Amino acid sequence: MNAAPITLTKDEWRRLKAPARRERIFRLASYFSPLLLLLLWELSSQFNLIDRRFFPAPSAIAGTAWRMTVSFELFEHIGATLRRVGIGYMLGAVPGIVIGLILGLSLPVRRLLGPIFSALYPVPKIAILPLILLIFGVGDASKFVVIAIGVFFLMLYNTMGGVMQTPQIYMDVAKNAGASRFQTFRRIAFPAALPSIFTGLKLAAGSSYIIIAAAEFLGARNGVGFFIWASWQTFAVSRMFVGIVVISVMGYLTILALEALERRFVPWAKH
Amino acid sequence: MATVQETVHPSAVKTAPPAIEVSHLTKAFYDSEGDRVTVAVSDVGFSVARGEFVCIVGPSGCGKTTVLRILADLEQKLSGTVKLHSATPPAMVFQEASVLPWLTVAENIAFPLSLKGVSRAEQEARVRDLLALTGLTEFAKARPHQLSGGMKQRVSVARALVDDREILLMDEPFGALDEQTRLVLQQELLRIWETTGKTVVFITHSVDEALTLADRVLVMSPRPGTLVANLTVPFERPRDVVEMRRDKRFWDMTYEVWRLLASPARD
Repeated sequence: MNAAPITLTKDEWRRLKAPARRERIFRLASYFSPLLLLLLWELSSQFNLIDRRFFPAPSAIAGTAWRMTVSFELFEHIGATLRRVGIGYMLGAVPGIVIGLILGLSLPVRRLLGPIFSALYPVPKIAILPLILLIFGVGDASKFVVIAIGVFFLMLYNTMGGVMQTPQIYMDVAKNAGASRFQTFRRIAFPAALPSIFTGLKLAAGSSYIIIAAAEFLGARNGVGFFIWASWQTFAVSRMFVGIVVISVMGYLTILALEALERRFVPWAKH
Repeated sequence: MATVQETVHPSAVKTAPPAIEVSHLTKAFYDSEGDRVTVAVSDVGFSVARGEFVCIVGPSGCGKTTVLRILADLEQKLSGTVKLHSATPPAMVFQEASVLPWLTVAENIAFPLSLKGVSRAEQEARVRDLLALTGLTEFAKARPHQLSGGMKQRVSVARALVDDREILLMDEPFGALDEQTRLVLQQELLRIWETTGKTVVFITHSVDEALTLADRVLVMSPRPGTLVANLTVPFERPRDVVEMRRDKRFWDMTYEVWRLLASPARD
């Protein structure tokens, strides 16, 4: 290490610090670029540069959102959608993780059952929605089922991949330490797959909202998806935009919550 | 520690029944895609006395790790006999980072005990002893990714010692470490071995390391691996890993082993 005092000219200092300063300016600008887009939209709409019937001004949408919030109309829909997504997600994620762990750990089971899951996985979940409505009716049960199916496959494949990528040495450590099959499952395979499980949980959260929106378009009396569809039918465009923003924010917050859980439960993985 | 046996000089226990007996051990791998058979180990036989420290040295790919994995029951032998005269299964210290990243240092060390359902208080007491023995006390709560390579291998050693098994199998535990760290850990391993009196089989590709640690060095030939020499290391215990390098016999033996390793398999 150099103990001598650093002597640099003013110009050298300036040049040395220039890249960091530029980086700061760009980072500051990055916060404002989405706001700039909103501003552009607002002005274009106010001055009739774009069709206000399709693109009402953001301020008009915000006004609608505010009225819906104070009348509690919005919360009924948010609550209904959250409940469907939450229950369907759990119903799909838990078996997806458990079966993913089993398939990842056991080659014979993977050989035997793998093809069944591979054959079912590519079926678009929305394509079977009418079938599910037929079987489970137009009530909440059909929504739980269609979300659970979508979540199940994502969790199954991500968990299985995580287990299969577990370094063999961890399995050797478990065997040498005298672990039973169940202990290897719970103490090694599960934690080793946790980073992949969280990747799956985040992907599944995103697709849950896609599926619920479509499901609520078709057969529901409430929920954000229903609300968007109903607004379309009555040509209430600014209400439709409120619905779109609300469901996007719900998805975004869900992912943020899962990321917080990930930091809490997977502290060893790099984030 | 309940584990401490009296430190007996290795020569005194030579008459007792050996801890490990291996004879005519052969192991081959079959590659079904290429329809090829690779003989990894061929007709290997040796025995290890109770409390003895034996090093197996050989070039990479000679099957020395395979021999150890068979002793640890992580690999099945093709033929031959392997007898372990021990009340407990052997404990293994692995080659690379085998520390479980989702557990803290203390939890890693306690891992074998926690599988057996040992009481928490007992686990803590035992882990405290081993943290002290391996110089990890202040890292008890650290996560593996915060540790250096040397520290991780200390954790592996501590974990292998925690449930006090009689036989310790070590698979190039210091192979990935820098020279200085390796020297420090060798000295500490010798100290730990002298206080615990375990039977140790230690795999290494380093002649230097084998002579530093072992009572006896088994030299293996390249694949198919077979034993070509069985040398008794004459240095007295306790050893100083630095000072013993002043001994001319050290360099004579180094030369001897290198000559064996360099010569193509005879007959």
